[in-house]
Amino acid sequence: MIAEMVKDRDGVNERVSEAVEKAHALQESLNAVITFVDPAKQLEEMPEEGLLRGVPIALKDNVNTKGILTTAGSRILSNYVPIYDAEIAVRLQKAGAINIAKASMDELAMGGTNKTAYIGPCHNPWDTRRMTGGSSGGSAALVAAGVVPMAIGSDTGDSVRKPASYCGIVGVKPTYGRISRYGIIPYASSLDHVGYFTRNIKDACVTLKVLAGRDERDMTSSFKEVPDYSALLNSDVTGKKIAILKNVVDGVSTPEIVTMFNGLAEKLRKRGAIVEEYAFDEALMRAILPAYFIIANCEATSNHSNLDGIRFGVREDGADMAEIMTNSRTKGFCSLIRRRFVIGSYGLFEENQERIFRKAQKVRRKIVEALDECLKEYDAVIAPAAGTIAPFIDDQADQDALGEESVVAENYMAIANFSGYPSLTQPMGFVDGCPVGVNITCRGFEEVEMFNIAKAIEEETGLADLVAEVK
Amino acid sequence: MEEKKDREYFRKLAHQLMFDLSDEEADGIVKEFGELETQMSLLDQVNTDDTEEMIYPFEQATSFLRDDVVTNVISQADAMKNVKKNLEGHFVLPKVVK
Amino acid sequence: MEYDVTIGIEIHCQLKTDTKMFSGAPTSFGRKANTCVNEIDLGMPGVLPEVNREAVKKAVMACTALHLDIDPLVKFDRKNYYYSDLPKGFQITQQFHPIGRNGYVEIETAEGKKKIRINRIHMEEDTAKQFHLTKFSLLDFNRAGTPLIEIVSEPDMHSGEEAEAYVEALRQTLYYIGVSDCRMEEGSMRCDTNVSISPKGSGVLGTKNEIKNLNSISHIGKAVNYEIERQKKLLEAGEKVLQETRRFDEKSGETVLMRRKEGNVDYKFFPEPNIFPIRLSDEWIKDIQDNMPELPQARKERYKSEYGLSDHDIGILISNKEMSDYFETVTKFTANAKSACNWLLSDISAWLNTHETTIDQAQLNPENLAKLIAMIDDGKISNAQAKKLVDDLMAGKDPETAAKEKGLEQVSDTGAIAAMVNEVMDANPQAIEDFRNGKSRAVGFIVGQVMKKSRGQANPGMVSRMVNEELAKRIS
Repeated sequence: MIAEMVKDRDGVNERVSEAVEKAHALQESLNAVITFVDPAKQLEEMPEEGLLRGVPIALKDNVNTKGILTTAGSRILSNYVPIYDAEIAVRLQKAGAINIAKASMDELAMGGTNKTAYIGPCHNPWDTRRMTGGSSGGSAALVAAGVVPMAIGSDTGDSVRKPASYCGIVGVKPTYGRISRYGIIPYASSLDHVGYFTRNIKDACVTLKVLAGRDERDMTSSFKEVPDYSALLNSDVTGKKIAILKNVVDGVSTPEIVTMFNGLAEKLRKRGAIVEEYAFDEALMRAILPAYFIIANCEATSNHSNLDGIRFGVREDGADMAEIMTNSRTKGFCSLIRRRFVIGSYGLFEENQERIFRKAQKVRRKIVEALDECLKEYDAVIAPAAGTIAPFIDDQADQDALGEESVVAENYMAIANFSGYPSLTQPMGFVDGCPVGVNITCRGFEEVEMFNIAKAIEEETGLADLVAEVK
Repeated sequence: MEEKKDREYFRKLAHQLMFDLSDEEADGIVKEFGELETQMSLLDQVNTDDTEEMIYPFEQATSFLRDDVVTNVISQADAMKNVKKNLEGHFVLPKVVK
Repeated sequence: MEYDVTIGIEIHCQLKTDTKMFSGAPTSFGRKANTCVNEIDLGMPGVLPEVNREAVKKAVMACTALHLDIDPLVKFDRKNYYYSDLPKGFQITQQFHPIGRNGYVEIETAEGKKKIRINRIHMEEDTAKQFHLTKFSLLDFNRAGTPLIEIVSEPDMHSGEEAEAYVEALRQTLYYIGVSDCRMEEGSMRCDTNVSISPKGSGVLGTKNEIKNLNSISHIGKAVNYEIERQKKLLEAGEKVLQETRRFDEKSGETVLMRRKEGNVDYKFFPEPNIFPIRLSDEWIKDIQDNMPELPQARKERYKSEYGLSDHDIGILISNKEMSDYFETVTKFTANAKSACNWLLSDISAWLNTHETTIDQAQLNPENLAKLIAMIDDGKISNAQAKKLVDDLMAGKDPETAAKEKGLEQVSDTGAIAAMVNEVMDANPQAIEDFRNGKSRAVGFIVGQVMKKSRGQANPGMVSRMVNEELAKRIS
């Protein structure tokens, strides 16, 4: 789809206008956009060539865009106009992409529902009573509704891959260090990845080629060469060894999803892949959520200490520095965020750190070692990306609260953040008219392998280029 | 001497983080804190006796260091762009009371 | 009662680099507010640190000069606290893996040489500058992110004098190797001194007090000695020494309470996730170590063996690196190093003081100074005449030209002097008579008259010799 758009050089203006109009038209029902970006200047300055030339896109609102409001979904940043561009914003511009919107997100990306955005929840294009999932919900909604063929997200635990499942699109989180994080407002630095949404695997290949590559401004950015993903794409999975994450499948609460997933596995076997169940130590699987919760919140409380209302952001009145900071941060963050910061800070206290933060970091290693063990034998690990279709927005349960029990099927995707390994979600089928996805995780920097398996799945399901008709 | 993890404890902690909590919010944390302890018990079930902390996703050391060359300076106007008021190019705060 | 005094010192030193520790914005001093910053120094959302190679190199140099073991795997950590001068809400430092451990510096004390051990050196970043007006505080982030090393001593010092000597030794060393400007008055070197006392031989460490705001070396000795006396008085009055942060007040020469310390602040240190560990190659470290500038101690020894200068002169020369460097340049043009040293430390230093400038700022050409020394040594001008040329020399003038313009050439022509000697003697027969009668004063009188006749330009040595010869001839 993207390749065809780029070829249609005369259609740029019309295409971009249509995208803008559609985004505006859907805003009332989806609430997916925080800031609409005027494309005029970008169209003027668009390069002659580029892999995304004249393709309308959207950016999650934690991507710094010079001169354009960037809020990270938080009230404290609701007046923040960056003085610099994120590395990927520059790369996208150079590739000719036209940014039409800054998309809604959970406040500071610290949620999985997109209900905590300061502008209110984002609605699922397949059923607007349902959530998009988060934290990159706005981006997912805009791609699923057919507004843009690609949108940027970010993924700390599953913030791209979960909404992709709920919205019936492709959500990619490449290897840690593959895409520069410079200029992405963080959640938890050791888990944060730039990710993106497309509606098919081919587009995912084109997009990664544009985004990936070494950036000196991100010291964790990889020096590894960026392959030509599109040229290398083939759907041959003959002889590929694929592990089914048994612990996850066993934990899925929706029977239709299990049936659907097993059917898909069977189709892959028919294509010549060796698809086998693989069980992880259940204790390790159950430890994913707490390890994630602790590491993410400990890092986040430190990362967001810069949000104090002094140099940027909404400054509340106060008699002195401490009062200004306290008032700005109290009003600037929602209740959930402040609760998370308190818990994160508690875990970092000298007297608690060994028992909490460092323990979580050690468990992280144990989990990654187990994943490595599996990927020694297998080329990929697959499982349903979610145990259910998108929940209803007004479901009374506080989905972001720390539950009594760890639900393995809903939280396992963070293993790809722990390890930094590439992972993507793509549509697998529908339940009650709502999409549900399958997730693939491969070894570090083996995106090519991941795309190939995904392409085979796409061919089997026939679920490419889905567009939800918003009602 | 474990301090009691009550509303006041967490409120004090919040104040160290430069924000306030309403009674309801503080109670929310007390409740969530109990759940955190439950979650911690899930971590404790994983034996990590001989395991090092995993701090970064990839642990091979790098060798890259930035050259000591000026690459990026912003103007004073840009530095002040996100504040309402400045005094001769300074950020302004009411006097810090010592 | 006698007391044991224990002093430990933490020094923060700004590294001499062109850009910040973690950003490509320039380092600066005295520039317009917030003009040497970028988004990283302002702690804008989404920024990441980028480690400056030169800062790491300077830290390696400091570790080498101070004999620390270098950890080739560089790691950084976060120190978390909220303050308006700390843009990110955390400082990137090296809490868990400092770049250097276990070194020392040698100081001179009344009892001879002594080693002060250094516990660690670590790299970190400076904070912004705050200016407090009556109603407002102003924030300038130009200083934010400037590379620092913190040098932490062991508690090995026991008097104000030792503390002072330690800081001076560090200052000299770091300045010589070009790691830092070490300007205490400008804050590029900052010193926190911990002082505690306890009854002699008790072996128990007393409660320590930290003294901040010491912006010259001489304040350190004063502040420490004041603090020792203050604590003694407290203990002798049966009171307790409380753990406090105090500041030195220049005017009164006293230390003043800033704040009491209530327990330790928990900075929630944890490893900085945005900087992977950085492996410094052995070759790179070795290359830095093989190309270290000369250390002051080595220079001292060389001045003694190579030039035979006195300890006193060496001390003065070394304490001023620019003067010492200048001295070395002059010695390239003259073999008379002692004379070069004398000129630099006396007349030229005096001139620089009067004109409130420094040798590296002055227009004095080292070759010209060498020439002046040669003119004296060759008897072309006298020392007294040479002193009259200092102003010209300092204006960059060639001393030969200047001497000619001032008519200061020494007459060493035997014939001309002989003629003058004869003239004077002929005109003063009484003097010859006096000499014959054993009045040696007469010699001086005649020499003086000859010098006067030559308007001071005759070579006094020659005049004296020839007068004596002529007198001997005339009375025989």
